Amino acid sequence: MTGERILVVEDNEKNMKLFRDVLSATGYRTLEATNGGEAVELATEHAPDLVLMDIQMPDVDGVEALRRLRADERTAAIPVLAVTAQAMQGDREHFLAEGFDGYLSKPLNVRELIGTVRQHCDGRAG
Amino acid sequence: MSEPSPTGRERPVDAEIRRPLSRGYDRLVRAVGRLPAKVSTKLLIAFVGTSLVLVTVGLLGQRVLGQSNDRVGSLGALQERAVAYGQLQRDAWHVRALLAQNVGDDFYGVWPGGDPGDAGDPVALDTAARDAVDRVGAATTVDRLGFAPPAEEAETLLSIRSNAEQLSTLIKRLIDLDKVIVGQLAKIGKRESPPGDERWLLLREDVERLAMDVYQQAAQLGNEKTAQIDDLIARNASSFQNSRDLFIGVSLGAIVLALLLGFVLAWSVIGPIQRIDARLAGIASGDFSGHVDVENRDELGGLAANVNRMNDELRRLYTELEETSRHKSEFLASMSHELRTPLNAIIGFSEVLREEMFGPVNEKQAEYLDDIISSGNHLLSLINDVLDLSKVEAGQVELEVGPFSLREALERGVVMVREKATDEGVQVELSAGPEVDVVEGDERRIKQVIFNLLSNAVKFTPTGGEVDVSAIRVNGEVRVSVADTGPGIAPRDHERIFEEFQQTDAGLEQLEGTGLGLALSKRLVELHGGRIWLESELGKGSTFVFTLPARSASP
Repeated sequence: MTGERILVVEDNEKNMKLFRDVLSATGYRTLEATNGGEAVELATEHAPDLVLMDIQMPDVDGVEALRRLRADERTAAIPVLAVTAQAMQGDREHFLAEGFDGYLSKPLNVRELIGTVRQHCDGRAG
Repeated sequence: MSEPSPTGRERPVDAEIRRPLSRGYDRLVRAVGRLPAKVSTKLLIAFVGTSLVLVTVGLLGQRVLGQSNDRVGSLGALQERAVAYGQLQRDAWHVRALLAQNVGDDFYGVWPGGDPGDAGDPVALDTAARDAVDRVGAATTVDRLGFAPPAEEAETLLSIRSNAEQLSTLIKRLIDLDKVIVGQLAKIGKRESPPGDERWLLLREDVERLAMDVYQQAAQLGNEKTAQIDDLIARNASSFQNSRDLFIGVSLGAIVLALLLGFVLAWSVIGPIQRIDARLAGIASGDFSGHVDVENRDELGGLAANVNRMNDELRRLYTELEETSRHKSEFLASMSHELRTPLNAIIGFSEVLREEMFGPVNEKQAEYLDDIISSGNHLLSLINDVLDLSKVEAGQVELEVGPFSLREALERGVVMVREKATDEGVQVELSAGPEVDVVEGDERRIKQVIFNLLSNAVKFTPTGGEVDVSAIRVNGEVRVSVADTGPGIAPRDHERIFEEFQQTDAGLEQLEGTGLGLALSKRLVELHGGRIWLESELGKGSTFVFTLPARSASP
């Protein structure tokens, strides 16, 4: 367990709980934000190792939040994964083109979530 | 003419590039367009106008011909008179000639005894002269002339006749005197100055003078006629030239007028039609921004007004439709999100439990968790398919058509079902040649169709069975068939299974599948302009076939 800090951006309370429980059970520490603005603040303040970014959120959405993170040199290098329920075909390509480092569709497959998070954290550590 | 422009306001530009010369013409065309009459009425007026001009030309031509004919007629009559008067003139001259033989320098020569052999007998000569004078007199009568001379000529003719009669009387006396002299000479028998000489000479002088008068009168008539003929010919020539010039002028005028009328009228119709056509082309391509500007107060004006109204109405409907469509689109997107969010929690927490991340679950609990997860996933695919289908139905699916390798798409599809097929002991074979290496279509959508057909085929094929996938190019289209050795489908169900939520009994038993896959596949294939159908009988397996129009040939 490396204890990397993962910023979870999610507006649904139940889903947030699922992320929190799965990630902490897997050995990660979590930071929690319920909208894009809050996510950018937390990321700037705590410099997490990975951001799991919901796309559709009130106020600042995931794409805009990503743009702000990339614009700030303190947060520009943090990998950000899109987590979205907009799982229509072609969305993966769309989000990768927007500049996300990866893509997870809801509903999440727990194994896939853990696998993807590990891959990005290890890649960063290595 | 100008290309249909998206703004629909090409006319002012068009007017600007016109040469100044055609501005007046343009104004005329537009003025004709503004006349408050039907096109048919305008055409009728133009036709009648042109016809009248042509009739005028015809009448004028007829008049010219008539005049020419009249002149030829009067020329003929003149010539007839000229011939008659010429004859009269020659006869009168003959009289003088005969008389001259009897007088002149050779006066004595004519007398017998002088040299009677050389000269004529004076009595015979004068008798001949008298006969000639009588002929001249007779020739002046209407009967002999064969025509009625005009009053002036008739007077002259009358005078000629009376002179001739007088001359004839005088010559008669001269002949009598001749006979006396001849008789005297015969008695004398020698060549001396004959007796009665003075009388004879005086009489002879009178005869000569009168014969001269007759001749001059006849000559005057003849010369007058000749002069008249010359004059008539000259007048005829100049009159013909004038008539010809007038005729050509009026004909040219008529042609120019007819052409002008035709062109002006035609362009007062064609111009607006071209502008209306350009506007309609714009409307047809979805541009409702402009109005067509037609000043005509005829049917075309009405047409343009209706086109403009249609444009406005279409723009309104189009805006409404866009609004509705955007609402529907937003609704679909948010429904997708709203349905998936709770599903995420349901499936996620079930998986967390099933993975025993927070402690062990017993066998029954694990089984139930599996049921929750698979039902959740089933619900997820239903949501996906319903969303896909409603997007297609709403016309929101826009194909991203491009060249792609159908062979690779099929290989990918086979790879995706390979695991399940191997698990169930089903063999999957693919045969696709290089001829389908490049086809036109929306790769993602075609893959969706291929995957749907393949997973159906694997699903319904019993252990030990076989799924054969093939792609060929036939008759200008690409044909993909997926054949299985499953239970087959009764012909009565062949149409039904392509409808939404329609499954065969075998399908319902499978408990998976949404009943939407084939409906969606059918829509997607048809969106490409292809067809999809089923060849199957109960117990003999099923073959699903779909085609794509081969837009581009193999390289």
